Amino acid sequence: MNSNNRRKGTILVLLIVMIVGLFSGCTSNGTTATEAEEPITITFWHNYDAGAGQVEVLSALIEEFQAENPGILVDPLYLEWSALKNNVVAGATTKMLPDILRGDIGFVPLFQSLNVLVEMDTSFDDYAKAAETIMDAPNSTAAKGGHYYGLAANTNTKILYYNMDLVSTPPANLAEMWDIAEEISNDELTGFVEAWMGGWNLCQYIWSNGGDVLSPDYSTAEGYINSPIVVEVIQRMADLHEEGAFNGPSIDPGAPGDTDGMGTGKYAMTIDGPWKANDFATKYPDLNIGTMQMPAGDVDSIGVLGGEDFMMFKSSDDAHKQAAWKFIKFMTTKEAQIEMAKVGQMPVNRETLNSQEALDAMPLLPIFAEALETCRTRPVIPQWGDVSGIINTKATEAVLGLKPVKTALDEAAKEIDALLAK
Amino acid sequence: MKKKRIKKALVIRYLLLTAGMLIMILPMVFMISSSLRPNEMTFAYPPKLIPSLSEITGENYRYILGNASFFQYMKNTLFVAGMSTLLVAWIASMLAYSISRFQFQGRNLLYRTIIMTMLIPGLAMILPQFELAVQFHLIDNLWGVILFYTAWMIPFSTFLIKGFIDDIPKEMDEAIYIDGGSILTVYRMAIIPMASPSIAAVSIFNFLFSFEELAWSQTILRSDRLRTIPVALTQFFQAHNRTDWGFVLAMTCLSMVPIVILYILLQKYFIAGLSSGAVKG
Amino acid sequence: MAEWIKKKTKRQDPRLLILLFPGILMMGLFTFYPIIKMFIMSFFDWKIGFNQQSLFVGFQNYRDVFADPIARRSLVNTLYYLILTVPTQIVLGLGVALLIYRITRFSVTYRLLYYLPVITSWVVVALLFRYIFSNDGLLNYFLADVIHLTDGSVGWLSSRWPALTATSFLGIWKGIGWNMVIFLAALQAIPKQYYEAADIDGVNNWQRFRYITLPGIRGTLLFALVMLIIGAFNTYTPIAVMTEGNPAHQTEVVLTWMYTQTFDSLKLGYSAALSFIVTLMNIVIAVVLFRAFKAK
Repeated sequence: MNSNNRRKGTILVLLIVMIVGLFSGCTSNGTTATEAEEPITITFWHNYDAGAGQVEVLSALIEEFQAENPGILVDPLYLEWSALKNNVVAGATTKMLPDILRGDIGFVPLFQSLNVLVEMDTSFDDYAKAAETIMDAPNSTAAKGGHYYGLAANTNTKILYYNMDLVSTPPANLAEMWDIAEEISNDELTGFVEAWMGGWNLCQYIWSNGGDVLSPDYSTAEGYINSPIVVEVIQRMADLHEEGAFNGPSIDPGAPGDTDGMGTGKYAMTIDGPWKANDFATKYPDLNIGTMQMPAGDVDSIGVLGGEDFMMFKSSDDAHKQAAWKFIKFMTTKEAQIEMAKVGQMPVNRETLNSQEALDAMPLLPIFAEALETCRTRPVIPQWGDVSGIINTKATEAVLGLKPVKTALDEAAKEIDALLAK
Repeated sequence: MKKKRIKKALVIRYLLLTAGMLIMILPMVFMISSSLRPNEMTFAYPPKLIPSLSEITGENYRYILGNASFFQYMKNTLFVAGMSTLLVAWIASMLAYSISRFQFQGRNLLYRTIIMTMLIPGLAMILPQFELAVQFHLIDNLWGVILFYTAWMIPFSTFLIKGFIDDIPKEMDEAIYIDGGSILTVYRMAIIPMASPSIAAVSIFNFLFSFEELAWSQTILRSDRLRTIPVALTQFFQAHNRTDWGFVLAMTCLSMVPIVILYILLQKYFIAGLSSGAVKG
Repeated sequence: MAEWIKKKTKRQDPRLLILLFPGILMMGLFTFYPIIKMFIMSFFDWKIGFNQQSLFVGFQNYRDVFADPIARRSLVNTLYYLILTVPTQIVLGLGVALLIYRITRFSVTYRLLYYLPVITSWVVVALLFRYIFSNDGLLNYFLADVIHLTDGSVGWLSSRWPALTATSFLGIWKGIGWNMVIFLAALQAIPKQYYEAADIDGVNNWQRFRYITLPGIRGTLLFALVMLIIGAFNTYTPIAVMTEGNPAHQTEVVLTWMYTQTFDSLKLGYSAALSFIVTLMNIVIAVVLFRAFKAK
């Protein structure tokens, strides 16, 4: 009997230990905000690239910021692109969100549709003043329905990178670029690599040839994504793929990745953002790489505007919001932007863009600045991620020859319209 | 004559086993040899299975071991895996004992439900489970990983241990009852010692699972000081643009050491513990 | 005496609650509750975020799943992966177990080396296999430049069936060790007298296997089958790493598609419906297998 009681006692103790363990977590989590003298810690999720040295620069900038603002501590957390998005999705209902997030401009409409983002222009009196220092085009990516849900962090668009040992004369226009790709390709060499076939990758060709993906009011894709212009663009890609002149890791998972393939001379040309210059320089320093603005299509050279915005979340309390806003403003100052330019992030600060220091940090800046003048934003709608996914699926099916191009694009139009109707 | 035939059969056995083994360990050899080569050499063409002596470098290992975080990651991982394994061993053996030995109300329902939960794709519940973790303040907390792992591993473990207990004769139980022991005494004095091989066997599976699970721990654990090895490995690789293969492979090889040791230590129980439980089906 | 024991075990001893409580608490909270919530979600157009209203849609999500060509394809792909990996793993795992069972020297070494793939990280080996099967990878190098079987590179990962086959190789490679251990355990449970009796009767190897070994491991065979089938439906990492479902969702399996639909398209009700369809398939398969084995 005695031993029974002891046994019971042990079990109870174990249970209590377990429950205490369960709740020990909450005490350590919940106390930070309540005490006024305690410094405020703001959590900051980002996907700055550690390999390119951006995380080191970020740490240095945070230290500087903390020295200037003694009451505020910044707790950065790196999350890879999809982890960044997935964590916001998982935490949206339960408010497990950071104070600041620096992420893809495409996240703004998506997160806004979850009703988690802070309407920044009405929340901070000096938003307009801060936005003035930023170029209009990048900051327009944070706007939705007349309000701003973020502040641009960096911007980018894409240019043509070509292996100068394989491509002797750079192309004058898009048609010529495809011709060169066709000419130089052989068993060992694929003329052109496209990393993915979604909107980010295909819009540039469609726009440059005078076509579009959606109607201007974003109400329908019918007559746009399946227009003759787009059919022609995709048909050319399909023909090139057939001849082994056009490929990529999403069209063929067995193909080398774009950076490694370019670096080892298996691909000759690609159109990509400023980070590629960094990748090539660090991983393949001997590569003889040439750069130029994306060749013009029938109409113009119209690239896709990319980049990242700073976003804030409704889950933070006022003190955290104010602190977070201070940090965002700090990160968009000329000095901070130049530091980030040194490791491959294209500045959005007007002053920075024209400064000699930025130019020294980023030799390709003039080419990108020129490209930025003609580039366009992708539709700012919450469904864009899915629309882009449909374009990728259908265009890939067409390029692989699984379906005639026109059929694939008609299907795309139908699927996109169903999505837009929701 | 017969002896000779047996000897020949034995030679064939060893030949077959060795041939199969060579194919099995080929990717591992490639992994270990690449971890001993400089980062950029990993995927050089033509591929090389065995590095030449001049290429061999301990640089990757020095980098990983010189990085104090590695030991923190290892500590976290061992804590998570050890704690979940212990909890499961305790909880599942009690469940298995109850279901195996007693006819109580809802027994069949309970057992069927336990079996059924094994049939649900694990990833599917990630969102409701995440919301639960938030409600219990388990985000960025090692217990958030441990408690969920425990809940996930209980069904399979209960199933295996119950099969084993079914085979244990009831004489011991009876003797204890006659001496005035309760069902808890039976659990402690008869079931635990007798079922220990099967508990040890499932513990290896459980330890292994919690040692390398990624999706959930990646969702729960955020701060660097709390990361487990799989999370750290993935984050490291992604943050470096998937290029530093040497470091990643060195870290993988190092992280396998505790499991290999555990397997060698427990492998005797492993086989014995699985035999009757699994046979029952 | 026996009566008394029976009474003792049959009586509802309140101490039983102590034994059952932790298990029921843990599973109830962390497994049953999420399952029920998922079931409810599958009938809603489930929304996440602050103050979002979820709309009841009846069976619409289930209809959507059946109408979705990619969901159907992902089911077919999963079944292909299952048919390729499950029998192969069992045959090879049992084969290795039969070989190791009868040897005395180095038995532990072989067991360890065959088990090694089981204890490697899924992510890392999937990345390794992606490299092995890539166009310029180890396998193509071996086939073309070492044994000159092919002239040039074979696109293992380039299209649907070869890519699924390549990922199946990863599944098989990583699963053999587990099967070996399970079957070794089963073989050791077969009474030695059976074999001794068979030796006296002078039966050949095949007969020994057919009439002693196979019936002896029937239970384990069923167990392995069910576990491996569940495992095949749970396949995520091999596909997510080796092909990412590319090209054009040709190589998508159930779980990768479910993951995309959850986190990229935020179709939570749809994913919930899909996961319940898969669960139902698992249950049906398990029940059919149990019946088939019991009937024999």
